[in-house]
Amino acid sequence: MKRLLGVALGILTAIGGFVDIGDLVTNSVVGARFGMGLAWVVVIGIIGICAFAHMSGRVAAVSGRATFEIIRERLGARAAGANLLASFFINLMTVTAEVGGIALTLQLASSITYLAWIPVAAFFVWLVVWRVKFKILENVTGLLGLCLVAFAVALFQLGPNWLDLAGQALNPTVPGNESPWTYWYYAVALFGAAMTPYEVFFFSSGAIEEKWGPKDVAQSRINVLVGFPLGGLLSLAIAACAAVVLMPQGITVSSLSQVVLPVAEAGGKIGLIVVLVGILAATFGAALETTLSSGYTLAQYFGWTWGKRHRPAEAARFHVSMIATLLVGIAILATGVDPVMVTELSVVFSAVALPLTYVPILVVANDPQYMGDAVNGRFLNGLGTIYLVIILAAAIAAIPLMVITGAGA
Amino acid sequence: MNENGKAPAGKVLDAILHLLDRQIKDTEGLVVSVVDDLEISLPDDGRTLDADAEAPMLTNLLMGPTLATRLFGGQPPPERMMRIPWSDVARVGTVLELRNRAEGLPVRWVEHWLRDHVIARIPGGRHDPE
Repeated sequence: MKRLLGVALGILTAIGGFVDIGDLVTNSVVGARFGMGLAWVVVIGIIGICAFAHMSGRVAAVSGRATFEIIRERLGARAAGANLLASFFINLMTVTAEVGGIALTLQLASSITYLAWIPVAAFFVWLVVWRVKFKILENVTGLLGLCLVAFAVALFQLGPNWLDLAGQALNPTVPGNESPWTYWYYAVALFGAAMTPYEVFFFSSGAIEEKWGPKDVAQSRINVLVGFPLGGLLSLAIAACAAVVLMPQGITVSSLSQVVLPVAEAGGKIGLIVVLVGILAATFGAALETTLSSGYTLAQYFGWTWGKRHRPAEAARFHVSMIATLLVGIAILATGVDPVMVTELSVVFSAVALPLTYVPILVVANDPQYMGDAVNGRFLNGLGTIYLVIILAAAIAAIPLMVITGAGA
Repeated sequence: MNENGKAPAGKVLDAILHLLDRQIKDTEGLVVSVVDDLEISLPDDGRTLDADAEAPMLTNLLMGPTLATRLFGGQPPPERMMRIPWSDVARVGTVLELRNRAEGLPVRWVEHWLRDHVIARIPGGRHDPE
């Protein structure tokens, strides 16, 4: 019974923890502009994140090595240093976007300007990273994140033409008023939002924080294979809500209030409250994960003691680097830059950086020196290779598409 | 392989593949550092070794400032190098395990400084997470 509860908890946490500000904004933007025409990208992204999250967790559990330690060992100090610069920069953008997302949600709930909420949000993120146990922070934000189901409920309340939605998803076409360039630009953005690199840093470091053994790997496989796809359904529900409500009215999404508009329309005040709790939990959880990831990547590259299993005083450089990251995030947001725009850019740059994280993981998952006889099986390697091609294509295409489309304008 | 065509006794390690950039852990399993560079016993004047000269030995693992010079070239002054003697290494696996504890090793002075001057002064810094 206890084991069953553990499985249920793990799955629920994975569902609630799947969506972050990047998924929220990108799915909503895409739904409002392209309907369900890019749903296939979400599906590809989910299969990819399942494969690689599971792979990185397994590598960490078997070899005891987290992702960035492996990156440095395999690429050497120089190439790994360049990788660190790029990965850290993109992670910093994501931290900034998530903290901005918390602040925007609090603005929607309180009508006090988000600028006032930024230091509050960053302070609470730091406080949790500083004082709260790993398992608790993961579970609480994951479970509260389940409130995002409000998007799915709203979709049913809106009573859309399901055949029409399915038709858009199964026969994707570029709408008449959009160019194929913007269509592919948003395909890359959605892919980046689903497969953000920090999830891999967080997953593999978390496996070491929680001292995973082979039994935990089996549990994680269930969490990932059941939880992530269900979380991905939430992403699709967000896009579908936008497709049903915003697209016919020609509303393009440029703020969080437009993201939640369909839920407010369908579910009224209650729906709005529930969805705001969900967004708050999702962005707060992701802010924790990205802040920790910034500390993980730096500490693993430079060989500092890291992890929430230690007291802060036992991992001083790790904690100082996370405080510094949050302060930089606050400084960026304090310039008045639009957090939604930071989010949109961060998912595209995530797509650019994907190979930097995923290639070393795939290599080490096949290295018997690290993995013994637990190296990747043929199926996972086949899947990993297909995704290598997709990831490289998305990474190469991202910047040119961004230039051609003027960042999707 | 040595000059007699026999494989040397014991484990063969590739310095770049198995030592450089590996994590170093102490007896408690605490991360000490990453191997940023290696020091080998070579004649100081930089002349090439002749055939009957003594084989160079791995003497120290280097940490800290040597990372910058390894990336960008040059050499830090010897007194600035942070060393762990090779004789302190107990085992080489996917990590290098030391024979002693990390506490007090000069490599960790930044860690200690930040702990004493920043982290320990913030409330809760010395407590376990709850």
